[in-house]
Order: sequence, then C-alpha cells, then structure tokens
Amino acid sequence: MIPSTSEVPDLEALGTLTREYAAFQSRKSGLATALGGFLAVILVIAALSPNFMGLQVMNRLLIEYLVWVPLLWLGLKELMGRALYHGLGTVKASPDGAYERRRWFWILGMTLFLLAMALTALYAFASGHLQANHPKAALCPPPMWILVMPFLYVLPMPWLIRGIEEARVYAVLMAQSLLWLIPFFLFSFGPPNPPLHSGWGLFGDVTGIGMVVLIELVQIWGALAMVRGWKEHRKYLALLRSLPQEA
Amino acid sequence: MAKPGTDPKAILDLDRLVHEPARLAILTVLASAEEVAFLFLQRITGMSKGNLSSHTQKLEAAGYLDTVKAFQGRIPVTSFRITEDGRTALRLYHQQLRALLPKEGKS
Repeated sequence: MIPSTSEVPDLEALGTLTREYAAFQSRKSGLATALGGFLAVILVIAALSPNFMGLQVMNRLLIEYLVWVPLLWLGLKELMGRALYHGLGTVKASPDGAYERRRWFWILGMTLFLLAMALTALYAFASGHLQANHPKAALCPPPMWILVMPFLYVLPMPWLIRGIEEARVYAVLMAQSLLWLIPFFLFSFGPPNPPLHSGWGLFGDVTGIGMVVLIELVQIWGALAMVRGWKEHRKYLALLRSLPQEA
Repeated sequence: MAKPGTDPKAILDLDRLVHEPARLAILTVLASAEEVAFLFLQRITGMSKGNLSSHTQKLEAAGYLDTVKAFQGRIPVTSFRITEDGRTALRLYHQQLRALLPKEGKS
C-alpha cells in the first residue's frame, strides 16, 4: 500500500502481481480449464455407458449435441473469464513473441488435423466404399453438416484460443467430438455390410487397444485438468487477497 | 569524474517525478503490462481515487504515460499505458539508484 510518500513500495511484488493478474486475462483459464477436464471425462463416461441404468444415453440426438461441446466450452470459457477474472478491470499483458508463436503453432496444428480428418471422411465417402456397401446411400445426400463442423471448430480459434492450456483443452474436446462425428458420418447410412467385426483382423485389434489407451489417457488428462484448473483459480483468489484492501 | 556511487551530487540527478514512491509504484505497474485499468491501479497501489488521478496527471503531463478512455457498454473505463519516455525514465532511474547504492557486503 502506498499511502504516503515516506513509504517505499515493494516494486518487484507490484510487477509480479500485475503480470499474474494480466495472465488470467490473456493466457490462463482457471476454472474454465477445470470445466474442460470435466466435460472430457463426462464424454468418456457417456461413451462407456451407452445404456446407463436402462436409459439409452448415447442416442442419435445426444451425439448430435455432443459435437457442439467444444464450441460450447469456448463460449462458457469466455463468460467465466469475464465473470471471474476481470473483477478489478482489464489489464492487458505485455506482448510475448515466443508465446504467441507457440499459440499459433497449436492453432495451425489443430487446423491441419481437422482438415485431414474432414478430407479423410470425404475420401471415404467419395471412394465408393459406402455406396458399394449401401446401394441406397448413393440416392441420399451425406449429412453435410458433419463435414462443416470441423470448419466451425477452426473459425473461432485465432480469437478465442488465447493460451497453450486453452489450446490443449480445446484439442481434447475437439478430438473427442471427431470420434463421434466421423463414424456418425460414415455409418449414417446404416451398418456396413459385411459387419465391421469380421475381416478387420490385426488392424481391428490395434485400433481397439488404441481406443482403450486413448480413453484412459483422456480420463487421466481430464482429472488432472480439473485439479490444475482448480489450483489456478485458488492462486487467483490468493492474488486478490494479497492486494491492499480498499480504504 | 567521480566513480559511480561516490559523487554526492549524483543523488540530485535522480528524476524526482519518478523518485516519488507513489509515482514509482504507478510506473512499475504500468511497465509490467501493456495497458492497466484505473481500478486495478488504484487497488494494487492502495491509493485513493483523487490521489491516483493527481499522480497520473503529473506523469501524463511529463509524457510518461497515456490515458486511454473507452466504454464497456455504457460504463466509461479509464486505462493507462506507459510511454516509451516513461519506460526510459524508469530504466534510467533504476540504473542511477543502483549506482548510488553501496555494493553488497560493503558499507
């Protein structure tokens, strides 16, 4: 506190507190990271329990909603940021070139990944595999909105993905949504003929094991993100407590 | 010319505008970010509105900071940015002060 000219302020502490506060408005997400982890875990649990207590949890309608989860998280993250981390007004962080380059690396990486996934899905459709297995498929148009989704995921990234932690959360949620989207797109004409389980051999085994490992990793990551987000939020509260009380 | 730290007149060369603790605190906070809201600056320095306004006006008159006025919805919001002159003055002040202070272990 600087009530008079006779007291010398702790300059280093002032600088650190300012940078920390600014970080919550530019890079850190706090409770939004925890929310992202929670959503990731919930999606995994829903996938593992498609018929929870006799209810068909994973129905078509829910899957259609689930694909919006990454965008929903982006919206909630912004609202939470404004409600929780702008209490003392806006403090814009000093530009950090190295950090900005890493952020764009993530955005570009995710864009390329989404593009590859969309092209793969399109190729699978156009290759005639589905048409061959499903004669009726050629007669009805594919659910194009599914192919539009990856581009909807990409559009807000340059503005709304502000930090590396946010990019990680968004990447996990997006990848999870794609796990629903792509098969949903490919099999929207009905189950393939012959059924999937015959003839997949080693590829099927490897894919199955890969999926189990991925599911476990997402669960662990989600739990860690919840803890990390909560800790970050506590750090913010401690920062506010360390500021001088209003006169 | 006397060695750094040995010239008693060197202390008179300190920028008095920066040397004042409240203004030194303001410049330090502003130098740690790109733009700082009035409310945050007031809270972190623990100054009253009037006192803070008075100091920021002096710093602005010296060209050490810029005042940014904007609206968030219908609410007017005042923020400050340190200027290049302000950064230079603060850096110079730190250098001068370090030169004046006795080295660690020497009294």
